[in-house]
Amino acid sequence: MNVVVVENLSKRYGSIIAVDNFNFSANEGEILALVGPDGAGKTSIFRSVCGLLNYDSGSIAVSGYNVSREFDKVKPHLGYMPQNFSLYPDLSVEENLFFYAGMFGLKKKEFSEKKKHLYQFSGLGPFYDRRAGALSGGMKQKLALSCALVHDPKVLMLDEPTTGVDPLSRRQFWDILKELRNSGSTIIVSTPYMDEVALSDRAIFIFDGKKLAEGTPAELPRLFSGKAYRADVTPTHELMEKLGKIDGLSSRRFGSSVHIYVAENDALENYDSQLETLGIQRDALHEIPPDLEDTFIQLMGR
Amino acid sequence: MRRTILALMKKEFFQVIRDRNMLRVIFVMPVVQLMVLGYAINVDVKNIYTAVYDYDRSELSREYQKSLATGNYFVVESSDLPLLDAAHGLEDNSYNVALVIPPGFSQDLSLSKSVKVGFIVDGANANSASIATGYANVITSQFNKKVTGFIPPLSIRQKRLYNPEGESVYFMVPGIVTLLLTMITVMLTSMAIVREREIGTLEQLLVTPIKTPALILGKTIPFAIIGFLEMSLALFIGILWFNIPFAGSWALLYGLSFLFLFTTLGIGMFISTVSKTQQQAMFYAWFFSVFAILTSGFFTPIENMPQSVQYITYLNPLRYFMKIVRGIMMKAATLEHLYVEVAAMIIFGLVIFTFSWMRFSKRTK
Repeated sequence: MNVVVVENLSKRYGSIIAVDNFNFSANEGEILALVGPDGAGKTSIFRSVCGLLNYDSGSIAVSGYNVSREFDKVKPHLGYMPQNFSLYPDLSVEENLFFYAGMFGLKKKEFSEKKKHLYQFSGLGPFYDRRAGALSGGMKQKLALSCALVHDPKVLMLDEPTTGVDPLSRRQFWDILKELRNSGSTIIVSTPYMDEVALSDRAIFIFDGKKLAEGTPAELPRLFSGKAYRADVTPTHELMEKLGKIDGLSSRRFGSSVHIYVAENDALENYDSQLETLGIQRDALHEIPPDLEDTFIQLMGR
Repeated sequence: MRRTILALMKKEFFQVIRDRNMLRVIFVMPVVQLMVLGYAINVDVKNIYTAVYDYDRSELSREYQKSLATGNYFVVESSDLPLLDAAHGLEDNSYNVALVIPPGFSQDLSLSKSVKVGFIVDGANANSASIATGYANVITSQFNKKVTGFIPPLSIRQKRLYNPEGESVYFMVPGIVTLLLTMITVMLTSMAIVREREIGTLEQLLVTPIKTPALILGKTIPFAIIGFLEMSLALFIGILWFNIPFAGSWALLYGLSFLFLFTTLGIGMFISTVSKTQQQAMFYAWFFSVFAILTSGFFTPIENMPQSVQYITYLNPLRYFMKIVRGIMMKAATLEHLYVEVAAMIIFGLVIFTFSWMRFSKRTK
């Protein structure tokens, strides 16, 4: 069943098109990742779904209710965690939770039950008295997530929840998301990290307000056409610039190595001499299976 | 709805209590303002240092000086400097007034001839200059009576009502009450809303089922309550410390203060819709407060202002409330006396509050 359905969504700011005729839907009980670089339009889509942005055209439904016409009916089903840290730093962990519980009209007794559960999965129990502003990045995110969960929403919208969080906390955060998904929640999460896409059930690549591709983490790399190679050379700025000047090849710096892509009807051999002049020997090149990031970069360039 | 408003109010109070700077502003500001303004702003001019250039040096001229020196108004010192230097003393503030008694002062007076005494004042302080001249006039006419025995047929017998001793404090404290209510409510309201926008929680709030009216009430009621606390604190100090009489009805004062808060909370809300950061909100709140206080009749009577400025003051809600507070506290004014001000405030409050409400709702959508 589709819990969130977005059809032909468009939003422009002056001459800049932030979201361009965007379509997607999220099924009940799945983690859907929206992936794209900064400025791809992720936040505009999130804010539109959460009723915070007057989009120009299209329609959005959450749990069968139209977001722009019946937003009040949507609210109880929706949990939203904005991109920026959005808790009250001068209130304690428990006061933050209590406040949001109050906003959703929870009674005292309901809250104390809910609280126990939220502390259990977030591990924030021992820190109930600490000011939110004094929490570590990872704990802040867990608290923000807990605040978005006080009212048991069916749909969770998390806008870059793990940006700026250490790898261990990110891992823990995703474990929590999977647990929530297993208990039936629908989670839509935006992220700039490809390793998080691998953890999701389904992902949508976004660039320039448009959908580049959609599929499971296993399906998406199959959209890659041609061949990908890893060159074990130091990716200096100079080298990358020179590689960029070779017609027919595309390349990308990947950590401490370089990925080189060759089109479908082409072959790496055609570039051997050019690569050699740049100091890349044939035996330093290894064919690799394209991963999510290779795929994204190739799709982005098309 | 009730539960969400209460939760929001509770949070707002928590935040105020947590913020030491805010607490200081809320509770120390009224005390300091009352103490400083209550003592320092004194419209009575006392201890006017007077340099006397006595070119008569007669018994009568000395007696004239003595009569000036009685009372605490003039402190008289004779000067041996040449008269041409009179202005120097005014320049370096060694005295405020130079009094020149011409030669032949005593002789001419005894012949009932007209005598002119020079009175050179420091016009840089226009207010005290004119007050000093006024005092000197009164003392001189008394001296006239004594010397010549001539009693002019027409004279004024003054009776001061409501503040017989002419204490400035009686006049200042009601003004300070107005000032505090304005500053606290405008500033706190606007900053509290903008802070939510700054840290992104406003967005989060809009996704909760809270209705805009509940949001607005939850964000304004706490500051109305703080405003009332401030006002009570200021009145408490004014009455206990400065022994200010409270002639009128407490209920009426608090009731009309509530009306006044509609305008200031409305303005606070309006400022929050035009500010992106707390600094901006604070700047606008200050700008409004200073402007509104200066044109409220707090320091200078509105009647003294140029006609064009007087028209502007009609748009200043403080003008009406200043009159209401002073009227109730000093003159035991009732609704019967204040209906014009009350009507103006109701119109003002309704217009600003509704306008800001609409702007706020639009901004949050």
